[in-house]
Amino acid sequence: MTKRMVIAVLALGGVFVSVYLTLYKLGVIGQLSCSIGSCETVQMSKWATFLGLPVAAWGCVYYLGVLVTAIVGTVPSFTESRRLSLALLIEAAVGFAFTAYLTSLEAFVIHAYCIYCLSSAAIVTLILIASVADYRELRPLDTTASLGRVVQP
Amino acid sequence: MVATRRKPPARQSNARFLTALGLLAAVGVIAIVYVMNQPKAPPIATTVADPASLGPAKGYLLGKPDAPVQIIEFADFECPACGNFAVVTEPDVRKRIIETGEASYHYYDFPLPMHKNTWFASEAAACANDQGRFWEMHDRLFQGQDQWNTQATGNPSSIFAGYAKDLGLDVDKWRACYSSQAHFRDISANKAEGERRKVSQTPTFVIGDKEIPGVIPYDQFKALVDSAAVPAKRVATK
Repeated sequence: MTKRMVIAVLALGGVFVSVYLTLYKLGVIGQLSCSIGSCETVQMSKWATFLGLPVAAWGCVYYLGVLVTAIVGTVPSFTESRRLSLALLIEAAVGFAFTAYLTSLEAFVIHAYCIYCLSSAAIVTLILIASVADYRELRPLDTTASLGRVVQP
Repeated sequence: MVATRRKPPARQSNARFLTALGLLAAVGVIAIVYVMNQPKAPPIATTVADPASLGPAKGYLLGKPDAPVQIIEFADFECPACGNFAVVTEPDVRKRIIETGEASYHYYDFPLPMHKNTWFASEAAACANDQGRFWEMHDRLFQGQDQWNTQATGNPSSIFAGYAKDLGLDVDKWRACYSSQAHFRDISANKAEGERRKVSQTPTFVIGDKEIPGVIPYDQFKALVDSAAVPAKRVATK
């Protein structure tokens, strides 16, 4: 299993977490199944909406984007594409930064945690780690660097 | 001289992986559909009242109506944050701000769509109000939220009837009011008032001319009341 396959599986998990939360936010699901944390406190806060849409809906769009990129990356003609690796890395970094912002809101502003948001944060972190590993595997090497350089004082 | 690190040979078809991913996706879709089809509590009313015909929102008053500062709360009986505020902070607010005459307190229902039992709870409280016991029922509902919320039961009516009995209400009278949804329009009017003020979460407080979304601790609450009281005093001395 390649790192991009791992990323695709993680992104699929993220899609389902975000779809579940979006359906809750839209009132399709009556009650969140939340045995740990304070999901409703977080989901009812004003920070659960971003640019007029539930944050979970943005998460859904994001994970679908990562999923599609990762799946394309497993197609034989793209397995060694550095551009695709870079695209995955950028997507992962953007997702990680936004998730860090949301998690800090939970910790310092809302003072409540949502287990689904934390699950999503864990997924995004793992996607970032796998994306970095994938990018490093395909990055160009400057062979002179491996010979060492003499640094002039 | 630039070289590229080679990946291990991965040029075989990804068909197996896509099949496995498709199977995982199918399991996820089935799980979501299953959750969506879980039985929900019957809605308390099938039609939504026309906002234009609701009349003015009255809310429920605590304290002196002519107090220098007016506090309004928009809350949902099934919202955990509202329950937290009602149990932890509100007793202090009542004792140290409302009972001292610094401010009056108005409660407005703002039932949220994802809480299937909240309309029943608002109706239970409104019917208790007919017998002059709104605030007692308000407190009982928030204290026992986990006994009657959507997760606990699909039909909270018998639990509410038990609360009515515990509070010493005329239960037959209360039950007649509750079953006929006698206050559906009043609750709708309270909710419409929140919508008019663009309330987007519960609880939301209006203290003087400031609207504050979310739970706030007592010290912040008191500071907001004090700052709202300053202009009120200035007006009074003019």
